[in-house]
Amino acid sequence: MPQSKSMRIFRTLAGWLVVAFFFFPIFFWTSVAFRDAKDIFSWPPKFFEFEPTVRNFEQVFGISLGFGFGTQETVNPGGGNFYMAPRLWDSIVVASMSTVLAIMVATLAAYCLSRMQFRGRHEFVNWVLSTRMMPPVAVAIPMFFIFKQLNLLDTYLGLILVHGLMNLPLAVLLLKSFFDDIPAEIDESALLDGASRWTIFKRIVLPMAKGGIAASAVLCFIFSWTEFLFALTLTQTGIKTVPVVSSTFVTSIGTAWGNMAALGAAAIVPAFIVVLLVQRHLVRGLTMGSLKQ
Amino acid sequence: MSVTQVKRIAISDSPWPWLLPLVSLLVVFTIYPLIYNIWLSFHEFVPRKRALVFVGFANWVQLWHDTRFWGALGVTFVYFTIALVCEIVLGMAVALLLDAELPGFGALRAVLSMTLVIPPAIAGMMFLLMEDPQFGVLTYFLNMLGLLDKATPILATSSLALAGVLVAEIWQWTPFMVLIFMAGLRSLPPEPYEAAMIDGASSLQMFRRLTLPMMSRVIAVAVLLRGIDLFRVFDYVFVMTSGGPGTSTYSLSLYAWQQTFSFLKWGYGATLSLVSLAIVMILANLFIRAFKVRW
Repeated sequence: MPQSKSMRIFRTLAGWLVVAFFFFPIFFWTSVAFRDAKDIFSWPPKFFEFEPTVRNFEQVFGISLGFGFGTQETVNPGGGNFYMAPRLWDSIVVASMSTVLAIMVATLAAYCLSRMQFRGRHEFVNWVLSTRMMPPVAVAIPMFFIFKQLNLLDTYLGLILVHGLMNLPLAVLLLKSFFDDIPAEIDESALLDGASRWTIFKRIVLPMAKGGIAASAVLCFIFSWTEFLFALTLTQTGIKTVPVVSSTFVTSIGTAWGNMAALGAAAIVPAFIVVLLVQRHLVRGLTMGSLKQ
Repeated sequence: MSVTQVKRIAISDSPWPWLLPLVSLLVVFTIYPLIYNIWLSFHEFVPRKRALVFVGFANWVQLWHDTRFWGALGVTFVYFTIALVCEIVLGMAVALLLDAELPGFGALRAVLSMTLVIPPAIAGMMFLLMEDPQFGVLTYFLNMLGLLDKATPILATSSLALAGVLVAEIWQWTPFMVLIFMAGLRSLPPEPYEAAMIDGASSLQMFRRLTLPMMSRVIAVAVLLRGIDLFRVFDYVFVMTSGGPGTSTYSLSLYAWQQTFSFLKWGYGATLSLVSLAIVMILANLFIRAFKVRW
């Protein structure tokens, strides 16, 4: 629609203002990650006028960045040091392996649901969707006891299974929508040429849907990366994912806000970079393929 | 089964070889836990005996008389309603604002998607810091605007705690709505708008008569997906208030979790989680039917 010049300027400014409003918390937390306690616990709160330090990152990851500033010794409110690098590793292992699991199982099912006609197909899709509606707590409670019997508590395998299963409905429905975009005539002519379903799937459909599969994988990764309830319930000490670690920074003596913010910043940046790569498919993924862009 | 037989099944057009891995995993993940949960809801853990004891319908009767359960159900519904309404209205407003090719708007959309990759537990912790009565930046702004007395701790005041949690929720998930609505707005056909312009319709009329009806499917999908997540809210309340002060932010999921893992009421926790499951299933299915949402 044509708009007057003043309207355009107003709209641009309003848009920037609204997004700045949503961006402010992220900016503020990231700045907290670079602060010493005295600059965190100050009233009025400081926005720019603090001495930057990388100590929070050094403590959280148990490494020395050696930038020279922030060398004086401090003790964490909880006492001792947090060595979070292995914990970040836990999150990476669980999220990537559960993604592999979900995508492998889901591509097979999604291809079938996209191409084959069989009785009850619509009901089957609805059943898959309905598993997405289960409240995590209703799964976590029985899973805790089942895992306890199977010795899967506090293991990578256990959490990978649960996160992979949690992402299955998303992956199936999303991949189905990507496969639906590839014309079925290609399959049919290959079938007439004597190719098997499996060959068509492997040689034609999978390569054509590469972008969509990558986007689905990224979303599964993000949902596992951010998941809290299962990770909290099904692990104790052996494995701790990033969200679970973050909740342990609150101690009776105080909260390690600086370390918390450093961990948060470190957790957000890689996830955000990955999301930017699949931004074109983001909406489709968030709506499990029900909206196309 | 010989290898050739397996091969023959795999290349036939039966859907089952393709669906079998999915079905077997979903059965393990949904049907078995469901049965286990139902079984558990008729038992209770007795610490003295260190064992589960059959208690019949005791857990279900207890549920009926448990004021904390009804309270948690109320909190969940209030949280659900306020968050959903705010996220839809704000999301639609921002989407309409940003639905234009103006300088920098592409980058703005990317910035909005940032909120979606932050683990809610971390977002909750960060809002906890921002709402701290002694040095929180949100407290500071509210003081400056004269909306809040400096002495009032938001998350420790029963009338404000839920609002304090909702701020984090709405902040994190409004961008989700914005992105979905923006995708919907872009797919609208231009012709009806051109006709309406010629007829001299106001932009408000166009929004009500054209945009809203054409967007109804997109809105229904957004409401369904967000609604399911809102009803099972756990992360924010767990890290920000643990249900307190008193029971003013106890959600159903948090209550079920605490009964099971803090109070070791395994059977009662399972009963509560089953109720939560039943409510989500019934509401979601009614919604899917009423608004003809399809995948």
